[in-house]
Amino acid sequence: MRKPDLNTRIAVTGVGIICSIGRNSDEVWRSIVDARAGIGKLTRFPGETFPTDIAAEVSGDVEAMALIGGREAKRMSRSDLLAVVAAREAVQQANDGGQPLPLDRAIVSTGTSTGGLLEGEGYFFERIVVGRRRAPASRVLQQPTSAPSDAVARALKVGGGVISNATACASAGAAIGMAADYLRSRHADVAIAGGSDALCRLTYSGFNVLQAVDPQPCSPFGAERKGITLGEGAAYLVLERWDDAVARGAKILAEFCGYGASCDAHHPTAPAEDGRGAESAMRGALAESGAERVDYVNAHGTGTLLNDSAETRAIISAIGETVPVSSSKSFFGHTLGAAGGIEAVVTVLSVIHQTAPPTLRLGSAAPDCTLDYIPHEPRPMLLNSALSNTFGFGGSNVSLMFRRV
Amino acid sequence: MSHIAITGIGVIAPGAIGVDAFRSLLRSGESAIGDVDRFDTAGLSAHRAALVRNFNPRDFIPPMKMRRMNALSRFAVSAVKLALDDRGGDPPGANTGVAIGTAFGPVQTSVDYMREYVEKGAALAPPQLFAESVANAPGSHIAIEHGLRGFNVTVTQRESSALAAAMYASAQLVKGTVRAALFGGVEEVNEMIFSVLDRIGALAHSNGAVDERSRPFDRRRNGLVLGEGAAAFTLESSPAHEPYAYISGFGMSRDTTASISDWGSDHNAVVRAMRAAIDDAGIEPSMVDAIYASANSSQRADRLEYLAIQSLFAPVPPVVATKGYFGEYAAGGALQVAAAVLAMSDQTLHASAGFERADDEMRFEPIPESRGIALDNILVNSISAGGGIVSMVLSRESK
Repeated sequence: MRKPDLNTRIAVTGVGIICSIGRNSDEVWRSIVDARAGIGKLTRFPGETFPTDIAAEVSGDVEAMALIGGREAKRMSRSDLLAVVAAREAVQQANDGGQPLPLDRAIVSTGTSTGGLLEGEGYFFERIVVGRRRAPASRVLQQPTSAPSDAVARALKVGGGVISNATACASAGAAIGMAADYLRSRHADVAIAGGSDALCRLTYSGFNVLQAVDPQPCSPFGAERKGITLGEGAAYLVLERWDDAVARGAKILAEFCGYGASCDAHHPTAPAEDGRGAESAMRGALAESGAERVDYVNAHGTGTLLNDSAETRAIISAIGETVPVSSSKSFFGHTLGAAGGIEAVVTVLSVIHQTAPPTLRLGSAAPDCTLDYIPHEPRPMLLNSALSNTFGFGGSNVSLMFRRV
Repeated sequence: MSHIAITGIGVIAPGAIGVDAFRSLLRSGESAIGDVDRFDTAGLSAHRAALVRNFNPRDFIPPMKMRRMNALSRFAVSAVKLALDDRGGDPPGANTGVAIGTAFGPVQTSVDYMREYVEKGAALAPPQLFAESVANAPGSHIAIEHGLRGFNVTVTQRESSALAAAMYASAQLVKGTVRAALFGGVEEVNEMIFSVLDRIGALAHSNGAVDERSRPFDRRRNGLVLGEGAAAFTLESSPAHEPYAYISGFGMSRDTTASISDWGSDHNAVVRAMRAAIDDAGIEPSMVDAIYASANSSQRADRLEYLAIQSLFAPVPPVVATKGYFGEYAAGGALQVAAAVLAMSDQTLHASAGFERADDEMRFEPIPESRGIALDNILVNSISAGGGIVSMVLSRESK
């Protein structure tokens, strides 16, 4: 088997994103520069009550935004449609100016935690609760977590392959890492890599019963933090081998330098308190990148007591006490399986604009959160290199490293 | 050049617990498919599946830990224990990664959770069920049980899940980020998946002319039969003893004619994946001694595969169709891999199950009986609904 060649440089030539603060990368970046969060009352499940009622929802007609024919769109889940919107933007951007991407040789690599579970819940209610034996099944077909990759591949006529992973909240980070490996081993020539997840009842209820949801908009690293705010969205990067991107005449937005992946091997839902898994993932990303320093860390920063404390320790051990860190989840919540993709795109935008996004609502940092978390306002700064962290249930950790062009 | 040696196998299969029993199942030529008694199939077209029976998770997992695991996790953790026992020697150590494939994941746990949600309310459903509702719960338990701190991913690419997991684990091993890796697959047959696949006509069913059966490549095939179970494999680059086989190449592609939930019609996409895997292994099509086919008894997928095989290979090497034994999605596709690995190790091909007569345009037949044969390279295919295709080459010697 050909080995992923770490001397092969990987270019980011397109980004696409949809989440509660914007339907594309321009809108998202404008919200970040304006320090404008997209968190409000939960509206997606009218008539159902939960212990908390805050969410970071995507508003608007996602089906229309996906630019897909009616019949085809009816067979797609909300996660699929979000994925198509983001992937379309990323590919459009990558095609801007240069020779078109060879999509027949491209792969789609998607991370998602729930896939079409929202639509599965609908079928469940009809068949199991109401007892309709012949409940319509067309949208449930899209429940498998392979569906967003398949939907993107179908919409963009991708012929090189599809890979999906459902590694909880580390999914999209893993999807990007995998894609880079397959470009470096020449098992693929172009990769559309990222993640997608729509809000659904099971996760909204589930994080509530775990008492991991903040009744107020989340305040990562804050002294008063009580948990996450659930969000939804999708984001993709277009990745290519550097030389191919140059030959195509593509505009290179940033370099993807490498990643690290690890497992806490500690607990099904809680992170290891010493942050050992997170530290190992960051160290892996630094080693693979051959990086000497990191200018900014886009943290996993969920707003839970355990994560923010463990991640802070891990960053101090792996990188040091002076690196600026922020949580963009304070803008668009925890988008679960999509988080690694959404935050990778935000990290790339930060590197492009040489501005680090802030952590919103950070009144005073908790005693166990001792880093510089860039409170309230974006910070223009020299950003040669930036790390994006994404951790998940099951103790899976992925850390992605990007560099300025 | 880095080696990817398969040094241990663990199997929890329909009709077989453990690798020896699995060998016997494949030798028997008997299908492990039977009537579904786990849930009511009244009103559905299909009534049969390949279910794991006579499996006692207590044989593999301490009771206190078992209580925290759903059926999927129990299958997977047990298969990994069997694989590590089979491998023998000292444990592989913390610097070991885990890649598990599953087509549908813990759907039953989501259903159980939603049942409680409906009965008790959104605030009072059990957190334990939520923790187990994530697809990577089995992979997480495996890591915790054995202290494995390398990468830990759960690959979910329908029929290709196990092969795609094998591909990622192999890539990490050759890249050198881990010293060893575990890969495998896990699947569970449950009412939700069964009823949905039945509703769209994907499952084999009796229709007056034929009874309900898995018939890979047979002209009377009319759908797949669901299977379950788990299989796990240990991979390492410096094996302490003679391995079962080496992994030497992967190829992937996608059929752009596929709909989002069905196979496509362009067999050249399958050719591309097979050719890419063969190229990656550094061999030629003529050096492939046997093919462990993806064929799952569905009209379109099986046709795509035989058209692709007869287009790439002249003459066509022996083709083995295994899903008549244990159904589709069995162990996320990993039982088919286990069969191919055993074939390489035993230098013996298995009899295909469920085949009688080919389509008119099919120019070869899957081999009807077990056959001792010199095997240097075996191609393993997986063709997924949605269009994804992954092929792998197993070799007797490291390439």
